[in-house]
Amino acid sequence: MFDRRDFLKFIGGGAVGTLATPVIWQGLDDVSIWTQNWPWIPRIDKGNNKNVYVRTTSKLCPSAAGLRVRLVNGRPVRALGDVDHPLSRGGLSALAAAEVQLLYSPARLRRPLKRSDDGTYVAISWDEAQSILTEKLAAAKAQKSLFCLSGDENGTMNEVLSALTARAGSNDFYMMPSDAQSTAAAWRAMGGTGRVGYDFANSDYVLAVGAGVLENWGPVVANRRAWGQARPADGKLAMRVAYAGPMQNNTAAGADLWLPVRPGADTAFLLGLVHELAASGSVPEGFAPLKDLAAKWDAEHAAAVAGIAPASIVRVAKELREAKAPLVIVGSETGQGCPAAPVILGIALNIMLGRLNRDGGMRALPVAAPALEQAMSYDRMMQQDFMAAAAAMAAGKRAAPALFLAYEANPVYAMPAPGVDKLIEDAGFSVSFSCFLDETARRCDLVLPAAMGLERFDDVVTPYGVGEAVYALSVPVARPLFEARAAGDVLLTCAANAEMKLGFSSYLNVLRAKVRRIGGVEWETLLKGECAVTRRVEPVLELALPMQILKEAAQAVPDKPAKGALAVATVTKRAFGTPDSGLPPFATKLVGKDIAGSALTARMNRATAEKAGLREGQMIRLSAGKASIPAKVVLFEGVAQDSVALAAGFGHTDFDSFNDGKGANVMRLFSVVEEPGTGLAVWSCPDVTVAKA
Amino acid sequence: MEDKHNATRDKVSCDRKACPVRGVMPFLLGVAVALVFGWWLFPALLYSEQEQPVNFNHKTHVANAGLDCSHCHYLRADGTFSAFPSTEECAVCHRVLIGDSKAERVFWNDYVRTGKQVKWLVYQKQPDNVFFSHAPHSQQNCNNCHTFSTKELCGFCHPSMANGTPEYKLNRLSGYTKDTMKMWRCERCHANPNHLAGTSANNACFVCHK
Repeated sequence: MFDRRDFLKFIGGGAVGTLATPVIWQGLDDVSIWTQNWPWIPRIDKGNNKNVYVRTTSKLCPSAAGLRVRLVNGRPVRALGDVDHPLSRGGLSALAAAEVQLLYSPARLRRPLKRSDDGTYVAISWDEAQSILTEKLAAAKAQKSLFCLSGDENGTMNEVLSALTARAGSNDFYMMPSDAQSTAAAWRAMGGTGRVGYDFANSDYVLAVGAGVLENWGPVVANRRAWGQARPADGKLAMRVAYAGPMQNNTAAGADLWLPVRPGADTAFLLGLVHELAASGSVPEGFAPLKDLAAKWDAEHAAAVAGIAPASIVRVAKELREAKAPLVIVGSETGQGCPAAPVILGIALNIMLGRLNRDGGMRALPVAAPALEQAMSYDRMMQQDFMAAAAAMAAGKRAAPALFLAYEANPVYAMPAPGVDKLIEDAGFSVSFSCFLDETARRCDLVLPAAMGLERFDDVVTPYGVGEAVYALSVPVARPLFEARAAGDVLLTCAANAEMKLGFSSYLNVLRAKVRRIGGVEWETLLKGECAVTRRVEPVLELALPMQILKEAAQAVPDKPAKGALAVATVTKRAFGTPDSGLPPFATKLVGKDIAGSALTARMNRATAEKAGLREGQMIRLSAGKASIPAKVVLFEGVAQDSVALAAGFGHTDFDSFNDGKGANVMRLFSVVEEPGTGLAVWSCPDVTVAKA
Repeated sequence: MEDKHNATRDKVSCDRKACPVRGVMPFLLGVAVALVFGWWLFPALLYSEQEQPVNFNHKTHVANAGLDCSHCHYLRADGTFSAFPSTEECAVCHRVLIGDSKAERVFWNDYVRTGKQVKWLVYQKQPDNVFFSHAPHSQQNCNNCHTFSTKELCGFCHPSMANGTPEYKLNRLSGYTKDTMKMWRCERCHANPNHLAGTSANNACFVCHK
C-alpha cells in the first residue's frame, strides 16, 4: 500500500534525482539568458547580407571626420574611419563613431510639432508645417525682422540661411560662437586676408595654448593621426607637442611637455614667450611695440601669473626657436567664447618664428566665393556676433525679431547667458530645425525634424583649424528615418512660396553651384568620397599689430583668483558630443571621472582641496554670481593650482533619459563680457566660490 | 480504538522491518522518475525541433564533392563573414540538377530557378553583448602555431556540422539554439595561458564584451 510516508519518500527521491539531471541547472541558466532578451533591441538579419561601404564626411562631429559607413542590406550599421580622407586619415572621434547609432536615438525628432494654445505640442503634417513656415517667413519679410541662428560650423547651409535672412531685409544671420570667430576677429584686426589655418601635420613642434589639439580642438581626428604617424614606436620622433592648459587632459597626456597654466592666464604665458623670443633674437618689422609691451613680462613675472615655473617658459621659447617647423596654436578649452587677444599673440609668435604661410606653420587659406548671390561672405559671417545681438535684445536695446529660426543649434543649453531664453520667448514666432528634441527645440513654437548628416546631401567647407583648404561632400547613406527632411530643401521651398526666392529649387543644386565655385574638382569625384584639397595660400602683404587690443588684454590678466575662490578649467571631449547631439552612446569608458553617478565631478589637486577645506567625495556647490551648480570633489593632481576642473557637456535638462539629470551644465557659471578693443562677446572665466552642500 | 490504532502501526512497522527494500522503494522510484524526466522528457519539452527549408547535408558536400568549409562560408576582403552562401553562390554548382534526390529537386525548383534566397535557420547566434568576429579566429591566425585543417578548426565551435544534416533545436526558454556556444567553450582557448604570448586573445571581459 502506498501511504503518506511512501509518498514523501517518493517526493524526496524525486528531488534528489532531479539534482542529478539538467532540469534545475539548465533551467536556471536558460531563465537567466531569457531575462536578457530585451524585446526592444533591434534584431539584425545575420545572413549572407550584402555589405556596402559608402564614403562620406561627418556633419555631426565638428572635426568633420571622413567616414566609411558600412551598410548591411542597405541599413547603416557602423561608421569606420576613411584612410584616404584628409580630415580623418582613417581615424574617428567618439562622436563620429556613434553617428550611425545616433540615427536611432530616442531623442530624435520624429515628426513636425506645433505648440498649441495650452503650451503642449501637437503633431502636424509636413504640409501644414511648411504652410506655417511660409506664412511666418512672409510676415518676417514684411517686418524686415528675421533672425537665423546656425549650428553648422562649416557648411553651405549657412549661405542659404544668410541669403534667406538678406531676402527678408534683415542682417541677423548668426553662427553659434566658436574659436573660428575669435581667430577670424584676431586675423581681421591684424589686417589679414583669407582665413587662418594651422598646418599641424607638417609641423615638427606644436605649442598648443588652451587648444586641445589632440582632444577637442579643430580637426582633432586628423591631428591625432598625424601625431601618431609622426611618432612611430620604433622610429624617429618627427613631432613634439607642448600643451599649455590648466588640466592634464588627453592633449596634455599626448604632449611631451605639459604646462599647467592657470585658467585665464594664457595671455600672460604668451607675453612671456614673446618676451623670451624677442630677447634672444631680432623681431620682425613693426613688432617693436609688441616687444615693448612684453618688456615687463619676463619669464619670472609671466610664470608667476600663469602659475608655472619660469624655466618652463624659457624651455618652450628655446624649443620653438630650435625647431625646424614650429607652430603655435591658440584656442579655448570649450571651443567657444575665446577672446581675440591671445589668438593675436599666437599669430604674432608664428610671425616672429617666420612660420607664416610656410609648410608646417600658420597659413592664410583662400576662401571660396558664396554660391548664393545674397549670401554673406565668410568674413561677414565671422563678424556676426550672436551673443552680442542676444545681449542687446535681452537688454531692450534692440527689438525682438518677428521670426527666430534655429538650424541645428542648441543655444539654450550651450550659451552661458540666460539672454537666449528671452530672445526666443520674445520673438514673434520661433522655429527650430533640429535632429533631436533638445532644449532649444522645446522652447520653439514650431519644431521641424531635420534629416541627419547621414541622411542628406550636405558639404564641409574647410573646417576650422585645418592647414589647407578642403572641400568635401556629405552624401546620404540611408533614407531619413521617421518623417525627417533635409532642412535646406524645406527652406528653399518655403522661401519660394513666401516670394523670397533664392535662385535654387533644391539644396542639391546649391551644392552643385558651390562645387563650381570651388573649382578644380568634378561633382562625380566628390560624390565618390574624394575631397578637393588645395595647398594654395593667400599672399599676406601687410599685417599690423592691434596694440590697443593687446595692451588692454595685458592689463586685464588676472593676477590670481580671489582669496577663497577657484578658477574654472573646463574639460571638453568629443566623447561628450555637442550641444546638439547630446552624449553619444558607447562613451561610458571615455567619460571616466568626469561624472560620478549623477553628479558632476569637481577635480582639484590635494593642495587646493586642503586650502579650501575640502575632502575627496564631498558634495559642494560652486557659485559664480547668482549661478551655482552642485559637484562632487575628486582629487586629481593633474589640475593647476587654485583651479577646479569641470566637464562641459553634461547637465542637459530637456534632451532624453540618457542626458537629463546627468551632471550639471558648467556653462551656467560663465558670463558674457565684451572684449575691449574688438567688441567681441567672450566668456569670462569666473572665479567660483565653494560652499559645502 | 486505541488498540486498533496501535495494532495498525505495529503491522506497518513490522512489514518494513521484514522487507527493507520495500522501505526504500518509493524513494528509489522517485529518483528513477526524476532521472527519466530530467534526461529524456525535459530536453524534449525544452527544445523545439525545426527543419531547415532545404534538406542540406554537409557530408554530401564535404566528403562527396570535396568542398571545404571556406568554399561556402568565407571571410570577405573587408573582414566580414559571409555566413550562409547566397542562392547565386550555390548555383555556381547547382545551375543544373545534380543527382535526382528530392532535396535537390526542391532546391533547384524553388530557389535556383526563381533566384529566391533560402531562409536558413541559424545554428549559432550570439547575444548583442558579445562582439564576435570570425576574422581573428581564422586559419591564418590560428595556424601561426597550430596546423589545423579547415574542418578541424571550424569543428571546434561547430562540432555537429560534420554530422550530415544537423538537427536544429531551439531552446523554448532562452530563445537560443542547442548549438549556441556558451562562454566556457570560448574560454577553452581564451583562458589558455599559452595563447597570450602569440595572440591578443586574452580572457579580459572587453575582448569579447563591448
